[in-house]
Amino acid sequence: MKGNVFVITSGKGGVGKTTTTANLGVALARLGKQVALVDADIGLRNLDLVLGLEKRIVYDVVDLAEGRCQPRQALIKDKRLPGLFLMPAAQTKDKESVSEAQMARVVHALGADFDAVLIDCPAGIEHGFRNAVAGADEAVVVTMPEVSAIRDADRILGMLGSRRARIVVNRVRPEMVRTGDMLSVDDVAEILGREILGIVPDDEEVIDTTNRGAPVALDASRRLATIYTTMARRLLGEDIPAIALHEDGLWNKLRRIMVGQR
Amino acid sequence: MSNDVREHREELIALQPAETDVGARPEPDQDATTAADVLSAPPPSVPEGSDVDDSSAMASPASQPAAAETTHRRPRSPQRARATTTGRAIVVTSGKGGVGKTTVTANLGAALSDAGKRVVVVDADVGLRNLDVVMGLENRVRLHSLDVIEERCTLDEALVRDRMRRTLALLPAAQNRDKDEIDPEDMLDLVDELQEKFDIVLIDCPAGIEQGFRNAVGGAQEAIIVTTPEVSAVRDADRVAGLLPGDMPARLIINRVRPQLVRKGTMMSVDDVLDILRLDLVGVVPDDKEVIVATNRGKPVIDVSGSPTGAAIRRIASRLLGEDVPIPDFTAQQAWYARVLSGFKPSRPSTKGS
Repeated sequence: MKGNVFVITSGKGGVGKTTTTANLGVALARLGKQVALVDADIGLRNLDLVLGLEKRIVYDVVDLAEGRCQPRQALIKDKRLPGLFLMPAAQTKDKESVSEAQMARVVHALGADFDAVLIDCPAGIEHGFRNAVAGADEAVVVTMPEVSAIRDADRILGMLGSRRARIVVNRVRPEMVRTGDMLSVDDVAEILGREILGIVPDDEEVIDTTNRGAPVALDASRRLATIYTTMARRLLGEDIPAIALHEDGLWNKLRRIMVGQR
Repeated sequence: MSNDVREHREELIALQPAETDVGARPEPDQDATTAADVLSAPPPSVPEGSDVDDSSAMASPASQPAAAETTHRRPRSPQRARATTTGRAIVVTSGKGGVGKTTVTANLGAALSDAGKRVVVVDADVGLRNLDVVMGLENRVRLHSLDVIEERCTLDEALVRDRMRRTLALLPAAQNRDKDEIDPEDMLDLVDELQEKFDIVLIDCPAGIEQGFRNAVGGAQEAIIVTTPEVSAVRDADRVAGLLPGDMPARLIINRVRPQLVRKGTMMSVDDVLDILRLDLVGVVPDDKEVIVATNRGKPVIDVSGSPTGAAIRRIASRLLGEDVPIPDFTAQQAWYARVLSGFKPSRPSTKGS
């Protein structure tokens, strides 16, 4: 075991697990790593959509777990980046159709072949969660600066036991933190008491890129791409600071006023 | 940072060591005197002409079936005549998490209660409950649905009365238990009993399609599917619609629509979503950052004056009660000066300077 299998989890749904998994994967591949992304959300898979690979699924992780195919057959290679692969979830099966031991075997096998394995965990703390966590060496807990998301993240940290877990604070709106309407990243870190892996601002580009199946980290010119690249390097153990969110410039403020957004 | 947020932060920090005492039944404090109050409260401020029938369903806690102390779970009661129950049981579900099930449940509950109905909201997210936080009732929760099922208390004792609304109550979920400890029949029993006393039972379903989903749906006769105009949410909504019992009427709420993005063409429109889902649309809710603010404070967004989100939810409540309220087109082009003005709209003065 190389300690390179990470589960991306959160407890609460909709905080950005799948988006974080896809973008961290893209960022790692752009750093030249061999990365396998595993969709553990059997029955409600979405990682394939976010990556734009939904039309290329033949075999899935359930087929692999039950020995109906080889890892190479189930893995889908992303043609945009050498080194990025997806292990899709089954859509028509139940989460109970795979056991924790089967899942652990699958990710350990992948961990031996790849530089990093990222497991996209389903929401909740039921069977799907236990499957996703079973083979992971480390966890990345995605949360948002909202009371309910933090409460669920706290519950998840309790269930992860002694595993190393780092926090991604997603969808931060700096202007709301300034006006006191949103918890700050420092508050979140203090409540959860774990190391912050990364901080991601709320950005409507994410909705657009998700709908188009092209993760935002693919375009190196975007601000979010830099944020995910830094996060990816920290994930693999580089000792560099997480990017702090800085205030918007005058131009952005003017633009927001003229366009009337938010 | 404002006091409100600071206060919540303290609560969260304080919350961590608190949840240790799993099964023990705590001393009910004054805040926790709940359903008995709801039910014996003077007839709520029901608008004139409302069709609420208060007298018939006003059962006193004493009329509950006596709890047998020897069994661990309540006896199943197939003889409970479902035909006599008048309340509607509606599950709010979505498949994907984070699309707004809990927020919709809390706000719809409040709006329906304002419309003169006696409403109970049921948190079915055992282990990851949040409805209490969204309603600002987390400090009043002492007992939960599993305490009722395992006969450590009566249903009335477990109910938590809302702060502001006399005709709104919450049945909390257990936080340190598993969803597998309840089955759909338990849920049906609970909901049956609630339907005798409330006009509307709203069930907040957990994300996913596992046991927690099956339990939440098991107690309901109608469904509301919440989605957002994003491909992943729509795909999950489609899957959930297929998993509901065939005879269960399902209606759709499209949440978090951002009109600017739809006009720009980077977000799916209402019609795009309906093309895929083919469900009966009961409402469209525009995105509003007021929701985050209100949720963090445990206050319903329908109480924020001028909030388009709150207004949309009140309209949905009316439609659920059978009124014919048109769904406005949020994506219609605004005049340029309206857009400029909305950019200058002052933020809530109450939070300034703290």
